[in-house]
Amino acid sequence: MVQNIQIIILGLALGGVYALMASGLTLIFGVMGIVNLSHSAFMIVGAFIAFYAFTLFGIDPILSIVITMPAMFLLGIVVYKLIFARSFADPAKRSVMVLMTFALALVIEGTLGFFFSNIYRSTSPSYASDAVIVGPFFLPLGQLYAMAMSIVILLLLWAYLKYTWTGYAIRATMHNRTAAEVVGVNVDRISMLVFGIGMALAGASGSALSFVFSFYPSKHWEFVAILLSLVVLGGMGSLLGALIGALSLSVVAAFVSSNYGPTWSPVTFYLALFIILLVRPQGLLGKKSGL
Amino acid sequence: MAMIEIKDVFAGYGIGPDILTGLSLNVVAGRSYCIVGPNGAGKSTLLKVICGQLPPRSGSVMFNGQDLAGLRTDEVLERGICFVPQDRSLFTDMTIRENLQMGGYILKDSAEIDRRIEGVLEMFPVLKSRLGLAAKTLSGGQQQQLLIGRALVLRPKVIMLDEPTLGLAPKISRQIFDSMNELKAAGIAIIVVEQNARMGLNFADWGCVLDLGRMVFEGPSQDVLSDERIEQLYLGRKRQTEAAS
Ligand SMILES: Nc1ncnc2c1ncn2[C@@H]1O[C@H](COP(=O)(O)OP(=O)(O)O)[C@@H](O)[C@H]1O
Ligand SMILES: [Mg+2]
Repeated sequence: MVQNIQIIILGLALGGVYALMASGLTLIFGVMGIVNLSHSAFMIVGAFIAFYAFTLFGIDPILSIVITMPAMFLLGIVVYKLIFARSFADPAKRSVMVLMTFALALVIEGTLGFFFSNIYRSTSPSYASDAVIVGPFFLPLGQLYAMAMSIVILLLLWAYLKYTWTGYAIRATMHNRTAAEVVGVNVDRISMLVFGIGMALAGASGSALSFVFSFYPSKHWEFVAILLSLVVLGGMGSLLGALIGALSLSVVAAFVSSNYGPTWSPVTFYLALFIILLVRPQGLLGKKSGL
Repeated sequence: MAMIEIKDVFAGYGIGPDILTGLSLNVVAGRSYCIVGPNGAGKSTLLKVICGQLPPRSGSVMFNGQDLAGLRTDEVLERGICFVPQDRSLFTDMTIRENLQMGGYILKDSAEIDRRIEGVLEMFPVLKSRLGLAAKTLSGGQQQQLLIGRALVLRPKVIMLDEPTLGLAPKISRQIFDSMNELKAAGIAIIVVEQNARMGLNFADWGCVLDLGRMVFEGPSQDVLSDERIEQLYLGRKRQTEAAS
């Protein structure tokens, strides 16, 4: 019993971080209707920013979100303007946009590999390797802090979507793009903004992953597969779904890992992705259920 | 003087051919217009050009003497032109109240929007009792009423409806036209595209026949209805189906 609760705690801690990672992916899908396969590559960019902020200037990786989020937001706007804005206006090009995000992931990975080489890195603030013991439970501080940070950011995102006019417009666009346009939502501007927000969330995820995992440029393939499984389980485009998907699959993966060894943990996600797509491709909450 | 002056408009999609080929039309404040014509004539395209969704390739669309060219949909809405498109674009998973609130989105003033929604609901009592339900639970006719109600939140000067009775039973269609008559009485100019040409023309003051991207005839609705040539070319089939039913 104690051991099971311990596994659930570890699973949930990781799930919180995965939820943050998946939030940007599902938000961009909800508004633009494309699966952004470069999402995790941008997370790695964020992790590199956090890494150098830490090693060069001693900035704590959690605090580094004040750099990674705005920097990645701006990068997102630039990428959107250069690549997606024009393709989006042309329906013929829209179908190749997912392939373009794939190409973008390759370009980012190649660029990072060229400058930083594929060696393992991670930021090492003191808490990353620390833990507290509460009764019979072992709580790794690094993962707990990362989860707390993720939850705070997700709550702020939720409040932004729920209580601001722009958030209202974003949700409306997710529900029905043409209807949003008809009532006067500037859907092009919303798309650009959401792409920027999605990238800012990837940046924050990068800050978190920099001390929870070790990373290298091509690590993003592993993440993107995991994120896809969470997002598909929850329902593409649903933030709440991504949260539920992240927490539940992470707990399952934690059990698999403890019973069959850690190498089987990622397989849990891939298998889940496969099964969900076969059985219930719209996921738990589907695209149209919004938040 | 005309409120909307459409002059020699050419318009089309992407790199495709011109769909509107030199179309002109004047819309006078408070008057109602019915546009009829065969499928693919460009009726929906015309409405999209007026509301800013599709910029014309040449020609001009003036609203109270001001050029609408280059304005976005929200800027056209601000000037008082609302559009109810053909595809029933409701926020089906949002509640009826939220749909109405989105109608006032450009006002960005919740209190004012809620005040206006009260007014709109007086016209549509069916919606009033279902405010908290998802829009998808409404019947086709009620959804159309919600679409009209959503547009009315902005208190438009002109409301454009693209085939509002499409797929509705005759009785429900008449209810939609009853609602439109109320708008007419309130002094709102109406442009309606209608497949059921007879019903549309009987409602409107002015009839326009659109074919191959231009106006082939316009005049008082009763003249359009009684013109034998137009009847043969554009209304004939309708009369047969009506006689059959
Ligand atoms: N979004 C679009 N992209 C390309 N062509 C379109 C689009 N919408 C309509 N068309 C074309 O424009 C022509 C006129 O369409 P439309 O204005 O919808 O006709 P109507 O409403 O009179 O039936 C049709 O040939 C149609 O194929
Ligand atoms: Mg049409």
